[in-house]
Amino acid sequence: MKKLISMLLALILITGLLTGCGGTNTGPVENGKAEPSTELNIYMWQQYISDDLIAKFEEENNAKVNLSYMSDNADAITKLTAGGGQEYDLIMTCDAYMESLIDGGYIEKINFENIPNASNINESYWTAKEYCVPYLMNYIYVVYNKDTCPIEINGYNDLIDPALKGQIATIDGARNLFPIALIALGYDPNSTNESEIAEAYEWLVKYNENVVAYGNAEQNLTNGTASVAFTYDGNASWAMSELGDKNNLVIADFESDPVQLGFDLYVVPKGAKHVDLAEKFLNYITDPQVMAANLVEYPYSCPNDAAVEAASDAYKNDPARDFDYKENVFFQKDVGEAITIYNDYYQKLKVGE
Amino acid sequence: MSISKKRKRQRMEEFIGTTYSIAIYAILYIPVLVMMMFSFNNQRYNYYWNGFTTQWYTKLFSNSALIESLWYSVVIAVLATIISVTIGTIGALGLKKYEFRGKKFINEMLYIPIIVPEIVMAVALLVIFIKVGFALGMGSILIGHCTFCIPYAVVTIKGRISGDGYSLEEASMDLGANRIQTFINVTLPSIMPGVMSAAFLSFTLSIDDVVMSNMLAGAKNSTLPVLILSMNKSGVTPDVNALTTIMILIIVIAMVLNNLIKNALKKRKKTEETI
Repeated sequence: MKKLISMLLALILITGLLTGCGGTNTGPVENGKAEPSTELNIYMWQQYISDDLIAKFEEENNAKVNLSYMSDNADAITKLTAGGGQEYDLIMTCDAYMESLIDGGYIEKINFENIPNASNINESYWTAKEYCVPYLMNYIYVVYNKDTCPIEINGYNDLIDPALKGQIATIDGARNLFPIALIALGYDPNSTNESEIAEAYEWLVKYNENVVAYGNAEQNLTNGTASVAFTYDGNASWAMSELGDKNNLVIADFESDPVQLGFDLYVVPKGAKHVDLAEKFLNYITDPQVMAANLVEYPYSCPNDAAVEAASDAYKNDPARDFDYKENVFFQKDVGEAITIYNDYYQKLKVGE
Repeated sequence: MSISKKRKRQRMEEFIGTTYSIAIYAILYIPVLVMMMFSFNNQRYNYYWNGFTTQWYTKLFSNSALIESLWYSVVIAVLATIISVTIGTIGALGLKKYEFRGKKFINEMLYIPIIVPEIVMAVALLVIFIKVGFALGMGSILIGHCTFCIPYAVVTIKGRISGDGYSLEEASMDLGANRIQTFINVTLPSIMPGVMSAAFLSFTLSIDDVVMSNMLAGAKNSTLPVLILSMNKSGVTPDVNALTTIMILIIVIAMVLNNLIKNALKKRKKTEETI
């Protein structure tokens, strides 16, 4: 709550400043083509890319890769919109933010001539194609412990069953929670209609009563705190492999409700200083063999078809990705001004009336 | 009759007092103990207790990112402490001793960085740094930390300066000491407890700050709290528990030593006095 308010204040502050003195930014320093960069600054999630692969890239290109980590997608957005983009060469963000980033002119077009491996990426998973390279993707679905969960779950509405009181571990965030409520109520998951969002809020109040913990879903599932989790497929995969032979987690068999599919993707911020090396890195990470090796350590869903083809059997047979409704997905879209409605109701949800 | 009643009441009060303090200490320290316990957990993500191991302590020293960011945090905290205590001491003395126009205004303005949400300060600084082309990194984090450490330092030290210090200063100058000698030999020792607590406060504020550091960190390094926070998405690994356990042990040892030295000094003073 406090964080959200402060974030909003901060955003107001930034927009004020940017409109006040826009256009004063000087262009990026031109980088001589002849001399390749020896430094690459990446801002991304922690524990999301294999250290060995980074080390190999450094060795091959005789360069130093500086990874710094965000704790929230909003971190990256704040830094970008405040104009801090030129500190980095690659920034990870998610599909939901792409529209605003492009509209605001915060990111550069990517020259795909230098990234031939990008053709391995499945086009149907690729929005805003000129501006980003998808890295990994996340289905957000429901898994439950078939031994301890009192009911069978076939849709989002089962999650507000009073039998599940204090049983659910869930991911957090307005734009992750409201869509499932909207779907459960039969509305558009990216609705901008206030009365629909208000109804979704009422639904989430009931959901909230069943929630035992926000965040660390895989941890709470494996240690038995929760019997149901609403989480990312990669985290479910970890929980399942951690349990090993004792795995009693099953993916909820949704009949009609779609699940959210989100992408983490790389963008090149405006003013990036080492674009040449950034392109090399993007080409490196979209290489099927490299990505396949990365998937061993980070078993998330991957939009790179050739890499999935080349991946280990353990990855291909991962129970966390064995569900039938992969085509029945929805995406988080930019909801424009309505985001404030979402935030208001989200705060209400978090602190009560 | 009345005496036994009084005694009973006393006992009751004692009992409530002890239970209350035990409860408070339990709330404060049980999470820390659990955290320390889990640094010996034989599992990758601390999902549940899985057996005893000390592997995380050996792994910790090969986790260069963690050690580097700890080092980075400590350097920033030490520098921020030195800067804010220096400015804080000068500021507190000036604000206490001298009368000038706008003194009240400045006094009240001191509280603004304390009251304003940190994230607002952080974003404001971020925008300023970028506009003037100041590279983000240790320098920007250091300035950010000083913005909230200095007001605390001034307020803490100011509280320590009492009126009767002036006569001592005057006496010292009467006896031929110049201003600098007076400051070093008379003023500073009299406000030393305030300066020390300001220093500890600044160090603590700086080393566990996450909001400011997160916003102002450059592309190359980040402080330890920022690194730990960013692990939250996938789960904090036990080597972080190991690191924090070591940090807590160092703090406890430092505190014990501090008290021992203080006691020793007191004893010496007493014996000197009796002689």
